[in-house]
Amino acid sequence: MAGTTVPIAIGRVSDDRWASALYFLRRNPRMIVGGAIVLAWIVIAVFAPWIAPFDPIKVNVTDSLIPPGPGHWLGTDDLGRDVLSRVMWGSRVSLSVGAISVSIGLLVGTSLGLAAGYLGGKFDLFIMRGIDALLAFPALILAIAITSALGPQIQNAMIAIGIVAIPAYARLTRGQVLAVRAREYIVAARTIGASPLRIVLRHIFPNVMNALIVQATLSTAFAILAEAALSFLGLGPQPPYPSWGQDINYSQRYLPNLKWWMSVGPGLAIFTAVFAFNFLGDALRDALDPRLRRSG
Amino acid sequence: MIPVALLVTIGVFALARISPVDPVLVFAGEDRDPVQLEAIRHQLGLDQPLPVQYVAWLSHAVQGDLGRSFQNHQRVSEAIIERLPATAELGLAALLISVTFALGIGIISAVKRNSLIDLFSTSVTLMGVSFPGFFLGVVLILLFSYVIPGRIFPPGGYTPLIQDAAANLRYLVLPAVTLATASLALNLRQVRSSLLEVFGLDYMRTARAKGLREGTIITRHALKNALIPVVTLVGIQIGAIIEGAVITETIFSWPGVGRLAVQAIPSHDYPVVQGVVLVSALSFMVSTLLVDVLYAWIDPRISYAGAGA
Repeated sequence: MAGTTVPIAIGRVSDDRWASALYFLRRNPRMIVGGAIVLAWIVIAVFAPWIAPFDPIKVNVTDSLIPPGPGHWLGTDDLGRDVLSRVMWGSRVSLSVGAISVSIGLLVGTSLGLAAGYLGGKFDLFIMRGIDALLAFPALILAIAITSALGPQIQNAMIAIGIVAIPAYARLTRGQVLAVRAREYIVAARTIGASPLRIVLRHIFPNVMNALIVQATLSTAFAILAEAALSFLGLGPQPPYPSWGQDINYSQRYLPNLKWWMSVGPGLAIFTAVFAFNFLGDALRDALDPRLRRSG
Repeated sequence: MIPVALLVTIGVFALARISPVDPVLVFAGEDRDPVQLEAIRHQLGLDQPLPVQYVAWLSHAVQGDLGRSFQNHQRVSEAIIERLPATAELGLAALLISVTFALGIGIISAVKRNSLIDLFSTSVTLMGVSFPGFFLGVVLILLFSYVIPGRIFPPGGYTPLIQDAAANLRYLVLPAVTLATASLALNLRQVRSSLLEVFGLDYMRTARAKGLREGTIITRHALKNALIPVVTLVGIQIGAIIEGAVITETIFSWPGVGRLAVQAIPSHDYPVVQGVVLVSALSFMVSTLLVDVLYAWIDPRISYAGAGA
C-alpha cells in the first residue's frame, strides 16, 4: 500500500512546489523583470570572450568613430574599438567588482554583526563604535579615499567598496540577533549545551538569511554604481582594459564633435545593471520579508 | 559622538599611511638626494613612531592646520576654505531643485495615487536612483551645450556669483540639475510614502469628517507630520554635499572641494585628500547630529518620550 501512495505524494509535493513557484512569480512580476536583466548581464559577462563581436582592446584606426550601424551596433571609438564589445567586456569588471565587494561586506559585516549581537557587552560596544565611525564617512568619499591610498587598481576598488558595505551588513545582522537571542528556542539550545558557534550558525543565522539576501542584491547595485564612479575618476581598471565608467570619462572629449555613441553604450549598461539589481532587490524585499516592506 | 569622531580621525590618518607610495618622495619631487630626503622626512615628522605622528597631526588638525599640499605647498585648510563657497553654492542649488520638485510632484503623486503623475513620479524615483550622475551630466552637456543650437548652457566652468550673477547662473544650471537628480529620487519617494502613510491615519479621517477642504487637510494637517522624515533626509543630504559634488564638479570643471580632492589623487597629494575626507566626514557627522536635535524639536512626541524616560 505504501508503494502506491508514496510516489503519488511526492508527485503532488513536486507539482505543488512548481505551482506555488509560478504563483509567486506571477504575483511578483518585478522579480521576473529584474531577475531576467540580471541573468542577461551575468550571461554576457561570463561569455563575453565568445559572444563579443570584436576584440575590445585592439586598435583599428581605419574604423574610428563609426556611428552605430549594422557593422558596429553601438559604433566605434576614436581608436576604432567596437563599443558593444567594450560594453560586453566591461560587464566582467562591473559584475566581478559587485560580486567580490559584496562578498567582502557580507562576510566581514555579518561575522561582526553576529559576534557583536550574540556576545554583547564591551565587544559589542567596541565593534559598533567602529561601525559608527565607518558610517560617519560618506560612502563614495570613503571608497575614493581608500582606492586612492591603495592605488588605482580593480582589486583595490573591490576592497574599498567592500569596506564601505560592511556597516550595512553588521547593523542588519546585529539587529536581527538582538531580536532573537532571548527567544525560547535559543535559550533551549543553550540549556541543552549547544556551543555558542553552533547556536549562532544553526539557530540565529537562518533568521538573518532573508534580510541578507535582500541587502546583498541592493548593495550589488550600489557596488556597480560605485565602481563606475571610481573608474570614471581613473581609480578603477586602467586603460586600455574596458570599464564602463572609464569609457564614459574617455568619451567626454568627443562630445563637442557630437560622437554621442561612445558614452551612450556604457551609460545605458550601467543604468540597466543598477536598475535591475535595485528592482530585484525591492521585489525580493517585498517577497521575503513583509516586515521590511512595511517599514521601508 | 566624541569617540566616533576620534575613530574617524584615526581612519583618516591611517588612509595616508596605508599607501605604498612614500610621501617623502612625493614631497621631494625631482630631488632624490638621500640626505635631503631624510631632512624632509624629519621636517614632516615621518621619522617618528605612528602614534606620535597621529597625536601631532590631530593636535594640528583641531587648530585648523591640516598641513600643506605636496604640490603647491598651499595650506590645505586655506585651499578647502577657498573652494568651499563654490561647493556650497552647487550643493544648495541642487538641494533647492531637488526639494522643490520632490514636494511638488510628491504631493500631487500621493493625492492622485495611481494617476499618470503618480506613475511618472514612481518612474522618476526608480530611474533616479539607478541613473549614474556622471552619465546624466554627459547627456546634459551633449544636449544643452552642443546638440541644441545656441549653446544654451556652457559645458563647464565657473564664474563667482559676486563677479557676474548671470554668468554664474548659466554655469550653475547643468551641474545643479545633475547633482539634484539622485537626491530628487530619494526625496520624492520619501514625500510620497510619508504622505500616503499619514493619509491612512485616524486624525485625517476626522479632519475629512469635520468637512474641511481637501487643500486645508493636506497643507494644515497631512504635510506637518509627513514632512518630518523629509526634513531628516534633507538634513543628511546637506551634510553629504561634498560627497555628491566630487563627481559633478569633475564633469563640469567646477572649482569646488570635491574637484580639489580628485585633482590631488593622481599626484599622491595626501594632505589634501586627507583634509577633504576629514572635512566631509565631520560635516556629515555634524549634520546627522543636528538632524537628530532638529527631529526632536519638530516632533514633540520624541521630546516627550525623552522627558519621560
